Amino acid sequence: MVESDKIPSMLKNEMGDLGILRINGGFFAIISIWIVDRLGRLASMDLVCEDVRKERTEGMAGEIVYIKAERNVEVMEDDVLFKDMAKVYCADSHVAAKVKSLKVHRFSNEEQKRQVFSILKLIEMIQQACPGVTVENLGETDILVERVNVEKHKGFGQTLKIIFVACISFFGTAFTIMAFHNDVGINQVFEKVYELVMGEASSGYTILEFTYSIGLAAGIIVFFNHIGGRRITKDPTPIEVEMRVYEKDVNDALIETADREGKVIDVS
Amino acid sequence: MFLKQIFLGIVGVSFGMFAAGGVFTVLISVGLIPRFAGKMHVSRKVFLFEEAVVCGTLFGDFFSVFDRYGHIGDLVIKNQVFGKGNTEAVWHVLGLAVLMVFGLFVGIFVGCLALAIAEMLDTIPIFSRRIGFRHGLGIAVLAMALGKAAGSLLYFAQAVYLHGGG
Repeated sequence: MVESDKIPSMLKNEMGDLGILRINGGFFAIISIWIVDRLGRLASMDLVCEDVRKERTEGMAGEIVYIKAERNVEVMEDDVLFKDMAKVYCADSHVAAKVKSLKVHRFSNEEQKRQVFSILKLIEMIQQACPGVTVENLGETDILVERVNVEKHKGFGQTLKIIFVACISFFGTAFTIMAFHNDVGINQVFEKVYELVMGEASSGYTILEFTYSIGLAAGIIVFFNHIGGRRITKDPTPIEVEMRVYEKDVNDALIETADREGKVIDVS
Repeated sequence: MFLKQIFLGIVGVSFGMFAAGGVFTVLISVGLIPRFAGKMHVSRKVFLFEEAVVCGTLFGDFFSVFDRYGHIGDLVIKNQVFGKGNTEAVWHVLGLAVLMVFGLFVGIFVGCLALAIAEMLDTIPIFSRRIGFRHGLGIAVLAMALGKAAGSLLYFAQAVYLHGGG
């Protein structure tokens, strides 16, 4: 700024001096002064313009845009915006807002339900929108975007599915524990233990069977960490943990498959 | 006598807790219920499914350990729940329906459990890699399912459980 300020004013001064010298030279001199002055002004204007332009690009160039990309994103709309796929932080809020509102993709085809993006493509998009910024990704390197139907999350079919899965869980585990008891011959084991301890034949229904059942219930409740919809501790339950593990595996598999089939949107 | 009963009580509770731990660790580690929930897109209701697992286990425990008190059919027929005379006919249909529901869901569960265990041990990926198997995984899975169904039917039809296949 200092430099560019100086140059035009110096030019003007010189021109001014020249002008004073030439006044005595007559009309021609006046014209020439006028022309030089104009030129000088034009030059200085040019310099100022360049200065403004420089400042504009430099203001962005220095910035670092931090993004944290998600692994799996669900969108309701056809258009996928940058802010759906990643968290954005930038010291310059204008740059951050511009990056957030970038349109990354559009699900134009009804059939297409998911799309994998490479982080490189996103970085390229940011660089194109805001030239000169530095992008730092702190999140995932591949992003799976899924288009979900809003109506899919409610309705009769959904209730039916829930009942179906609950039925499988209920009858399945009932069968499992019965088969397990049958396998280990639990009644014989109990009779034997009863005989060993009490020294008399078991009637088949003793305190052992009763407390075993209580222990079984206590064991499951401790294992699953909740009774009747209320958590005992704050930890997630084993099935919740397993659910996340499963989801993660599925996402990894989908991304890997898309990568292998060359369906990832990436920089060329 | 009393002390012995207390001892037996403690033994019983420990048996129960460890049986629960053992059986459910296997069940959880094959990740069957998350898979069902994931397939059906009802993962929000995981809590409910866990409740179902808990209730199902207690239900199964009751009918296998206290089988003397679990004779629902006898109870219904003895008390003539659906009125004199036609209880037997009604219960016959109703009992069949209950058995059908039970059998169907148990079948689904066990079928998935068997394959989930096979898959957990990476049988399928290893095999398909060894023999350079690229296409037709769907057919292989279908063949597996048909094989399981055929084996199961053969097992019951030929009463293999009576003489251990010998």
